[in-house]
Amino acid sequence: MKFSRKSAATAGLVVAAALALSGCAGGGNGAAGGGDAGKSLVVDASFDLKTADPNRQYETTGSIVAKALYQTLLTFEGNDVTKPVDGLASYTMNPENTVMTLTLKPGAKFSDGSPVTVDDAVFSLTRVQGVKGNPSFLLDGVTVAKTGDDTLTLTSAEPNPALPFILPNPALSVVNKKVVEANGGSDTESDKAEAFLNKTSAGSGPYKLESFDAAKQVVLTANPEYNGPRPAYSRVVLRNVAGPTQKLNVEKGESQVALDLNPDQVAELAGSKVKITSDPSRYMIFLLLNQNKDVSQITSNPDFLKAVKLGIDYDKIVKMAGKGSVRPGGPIPSLFVGAVDAKQGNQRDVEAAKAALKASGYNGEKVTLNFPNDITVQGLSLQNVAEAVQAQLKDVGIDINLAPAPVATELDAYRNGTETVGLWYWGPDFPDASNYLVFSPGELVGLRAGWPAGADPKVTELANAAKAATGDARAAAYEAWQKELNASGPFVPLLQPAQSIVTAPSITSVTTNPVWTVDLALIK
Amino acid sequence: MRYVAIRLGLSVLLMFGVTVVTFILTNLVPADPVQAALGEQAAADPSIVAKFRADNGLDQPLVAQYFTYLNNVLHGNFGVSTQTRMPVADELASAVPATIELALAAIVFSTLIGIGLGLWAALKQRTIIDQVIRVVSLIGLSWPTFWLALVVYYVFFFVLGVFPGSGRLDPVSIAPPQVTGLYTVDSLIAGQWGTFWDAVYHLVLPASVLALYTIGLLTRFARSAVLEVLDLDYVKAATAKGLPRRTVVFGYVLRGALVPIITVLGLAFGALLSGTVLVEKVYSWHGLGEYSFAAATKLDLPAIMGVGLIVGFVYIGLNFLVDVLYGVIDPRVRVA
Repeated sequence: MKFSRKSAATAGLVVAAALALSGCAGGGNGAAGGGDAGKSLVVDASFDLKTADPNRQYETTGSIVAKALYQTLLTFEGNDVTKPVDGLASYTMNPENTVMTLTLKPGAKFSDGSPVTVDDAVFSLTRVQGVKGNPSFLLDGVTVAKTGDDTLTLTSAEPNPALPFILPNPALSVVNKKVVEANGGSDTESDKAEAFLNKTSAGSGPYKLESFDAAKQVVLTANPEYNGPRPAYSRVVLRNVAGPTQKLNVEKGESQVALDLNPDQVAELAGSKVKITSDPSRYMIFLLLNQNKDVSQITSNPDFLKAVKLGIDYDKIVKMAGKGSVRPGGPIPSLFVGAVDAKQGNQRDVEAAKAALKASGYNGEKVTLNFPNDITVQGLSLQNVAEAVQAQLKDVGIDINLAPAPVATELDAYRNGTETVGLWYWGPDFPDASNYLVFSPGELVGLRAGWPAGADPKVTELANAAKAATGDARAAAYEAWQKELNASGPFVPLLQPAQSIVTAPSITSVTTNPVWTVDLALIK
Repeated sequence: MRYVAIRLGLSVLLMFGVTVVTFILTNLVPADPVQAALGEQAAADPSIVAKFRADNGLDQPLVAQYFTYLNNVLHGNFGVSTQTRMPVADELASAVPATIELALAAIVFSTLIGIGLGLWAALKQRTIIDQVIRVVSLIGLSWPTFWLALVVYYVFFFVLGVFPGSGRLDPVSIAPPQVTGLYTVDSLIAGQWGTFWDAVYHLVLPASVLALYTIGLLTRFARSAVLEVLDLDYVKAATAKGLPRRTVVFGYVLRGALVPIITVLGLAFGALLSGTVLVEKVYSWHGLGEYSFAAATKLDLPAIMGVGLIVGFVYIGLNFLVDVLYGVIDPRVRVA
């Protein structure tokens, strides 16, 4: 190969000059390109986004997006999740809580102008079941059927009083059947519409999808066919931004809403012009002590378990987690019907804890506490909570060895029930107390604590009673179950971290919700 | 030509080795991608878990998985992300140009400033200028990138307001039609001058932060390389002959010192491409660094292997380029 040194040098200089220009030159006002800045809303969030297909998404960011693009048959008003209200349909439930009849309300249209029909609703719900994705379990044991031109029924084999609380989940959004089917969609495992729905929305919600990139940003534009109140912003840019940058952006006015600031960052904003809304989140952080003797002789000892429950300084942990955090009295968060007041939960009593520890025969051995250290819960690092637990239990004589690990590797041990002591959190699948029955013996989370079916008949009996309870009796039944769980169960509910939303002074109203975090169409 | 062909052949062999090592290392991770990809309830449903394993080929023996993977890679198919269910090739096509644009801007900064400072320091050896440049280059090497990225963002965006916020473009801007994926280039191709300046404006802060480390590195290497050449007989002879100082410095000294500098430059560019994760995080750049970080923490095996291959390809490609450049700069290399 023969190189002309002169021409190579010349070409190199030209390239270098061009790149130097792109690297060195500044200027411009940064507001180039299209878009209507006056009506655009910029929202910064830390994405956990995977898809814009509403019937497959089951993540926090995915729910925000789906809520903006689609409508559900039932919904919640504002942040009140104790009472489901009409969405695309109204509903009645039979006295046995086995058959729910939904009647479609007229007037709703998809973004292509076609009306929302019962066929669309039936297709959407059966699609959630059929694609076997993360949210498919929401309708386990439910048969969906069209029963008239504007009615459908959801029939459950067993009483299912939680169904009205499940239907508002954005994963159960109604999609345009014709459009989705025309693009490879079906209500079976062979569904291929996800790629299409990542480019084009097929919903009746307040916005349409302009662009979607699961790693970068999602851009939404107002849907002129939406039958509800017109959103205040005609274009929304939802961006994936790291926490420290979110803070600076919203303070500077680069963005109008920051969704994922941690408690320290929120505290630093005191005195700033921004508005901070801090409410208890839906997440419940808890300790589990394994009851399987093969895993640990000491944590399966009832007196040791009692010592841990009495040794924790719950109020101190809540204070450490920042403003807006609260302590649940049991596993059910304070937001939901059936929650127990914090005063009725376990309380710290160092002397009683020491006595219980002595009775357990604990000889000072190190007890390993496993937790994921590369994730945060509403910005709160589990490392901080673990360190607080370690220090508090040291006061009563328990030697805790912290064993942090990446969530991808620690999940195996947690879900397989091999952790001695674990520090984890539970985000509700739907805002109903029945979602927390998984903390019972032999159930999903119970098994992770080495607590098989039959291990605690009293808790199981109360869990069954709560599951069967209807109407006003439900709250009392769930409270009774939690009190027994607090007394003898292997779980120690610690706190609900705050969900803090920071908004620029130009924003006058933000409506949060424990299920979909924030309704973008209601930001004013 | 033979020299280039041999180097090319070796590069292809190395790429094959990279696929083997990447595949083995990825599968040695003591964790189950099913747990990382599926939610609490879905991971407890055997039918959903079975479907996930079948969809992602995880129900096949490892050797079969490797050959399927190799065959797919040879056909340009890097697999499908277990997290987003999107083709990894498409995701890389979006992430890689962002990082290339950032790394190119940083390397140009670094080259111009780093070599210039190194040359100046060598020519002014043992003077105050030399001392200052050495201290400054050491500081450039010592600053933690994440801290520096935040401080620079805070000062120049938040306090002074002279540079824009995070991202590759203003939030209300629309990206130019993708040709190369480099916004500066694509906006010029589309004739969108406003978007071009917007993209350049957004590049300045992250590229400068990235460049600081490389400037420090190049300054020190250039200084020592030039000092070595300055002592050689042919340089002394050129000076003794009465050649102008500019000709001696740029025609004899710098040319002689370029071989080690280019070696470092190649490695530095590779490091920039694969090591931008912290800067990308602060500036919401969403390039290869962030993509690889997300893939690793979520145990997205196809994405991890895709990143491994790309980074391996970049290093091997750069080494190939550096080898060829040796031949251009020093004919003795070609002959050998």
